[in-house]
Amino acid sequence: MHEASIASALIGILNRQAALHGVLSMNRVTVRVGRLRAVEPRALVACFELMAENGPAEGAELVIESVPARGRCSSCGLDFEIERFRFRCTACRGTDIVLVSGEELYIESFETDDCDAARTGFQEG
Amino acid sequence: MCVSCGCGAAASPISSHHAISVMEDLLSANDHEAQHNREHLDRHGVVAVNLMSAPGSGKTSLLESTIRALSAKGVRVAVIEGDLETENDAERIRRHGVPAIQITTGSACHLDAAMVHEALHHLDLDGIDILFIENVGNLVCPAEFALGQHWDVVLLSVTEGDDKPAKYPIIFRGAARVLITKGDLLPHIEEFDLDRAVEAVHDLDAEIPIDFLSAKTGAGMESWLDWLTGLIAEKQGQG
Repeated sequence: MHEASIASALIGILNRQAALHGVLSMNRVTVRVGRLRAVEPRALVACFELMAENGPAEGAELVIESVPARGRCSSCGLDFEIERFRFRCTACRGTDIVLVSGEELYIESFETDDCDAARTGFQEG
Repeated sequence: MCVSCGCGAAASPISSHHAISVMEDLLSANDHEAQHNREHLDRHGVVAVNLMSAPGSGKTSLLESTIRALSAKGVRVAVIEGDLETENDAERIRRHGVPAIQITTGSACHLDAAMVHEALHHLDLDGIDILFIENVGNLVCPAEFALGQHWDVVLLSVTEGDDKPAKYPIIFRGAARVLITKGDLLPHIEEFDLDRAVEAVHDLDAEIPIDFLSAKTGAGMESWLDWLTGLIAEKQGQG
């Protein structure tokens, strides 16, 4: 259950961001998680909901955007999706694969109705 | 002007939501601490190896055998032991005359950089050449938390399934070296196919070196020990 540690880190970031932008509540938090990360989305959501209590992220929806694992074959140049962790080119069977995506684990953004935040000049969605 | 409340922001006419971009790595605090640990180790010329495996794959037995062999060559070893509850593993290590710091994680299923940082304060880094960090027995969670180690080593014992690398690809793919342990038991375990295990690791990364060894009999330990002494020589050459 290392998702608890990750959720705790996420709440820490959100609390700092809330203080920075004068945000009292959030509607939605979006994180991006690559398929090559050992993160179970349901566990992360459950931990997030518990740990968000009594803070600015309480009640916010956690959106987890899954990022597919993609690689580029160094032999033939093919850009392909790595399925089932097979790091082997689907065209030439080459094994020298440069990872293009799949190891992401970051918070992208959060949404709020608090207008103090908007005054500080951020994008609207 | 913001249409929902007139606050002065140039808000979208269809939504009162303001999206604030953050773009911060969720593990950045741990990664930062891990980097700090690594710099600390580098300043003292210490090589740090993080040992990971399922519970019962023989990490502590491997360490005991490795300590005996390295101590005989004059290498100074220290160990940080991660365990949920007991001090048993650290006590096993201390019997070999090397310092061992036990971290009992309680319910945490992995070590993190802050725990290792704390443990480092209890070690005389100038008095050691190589530090082994025995992570909590677990093939999922430890993979996500950098500790400041230079190298990750993953163990797979022949008493486990030979398809384990396929089942736990993240941790095996990140390994600098994979050790197939309890080799002395292989003749008794017909279900474990050594070639299949090697292939399962190499499906993840064809370059990962694999040692097949027995900490009990000492068979196959040479290439593992040569790798370690090579890392120490390289580190001390940098200093």
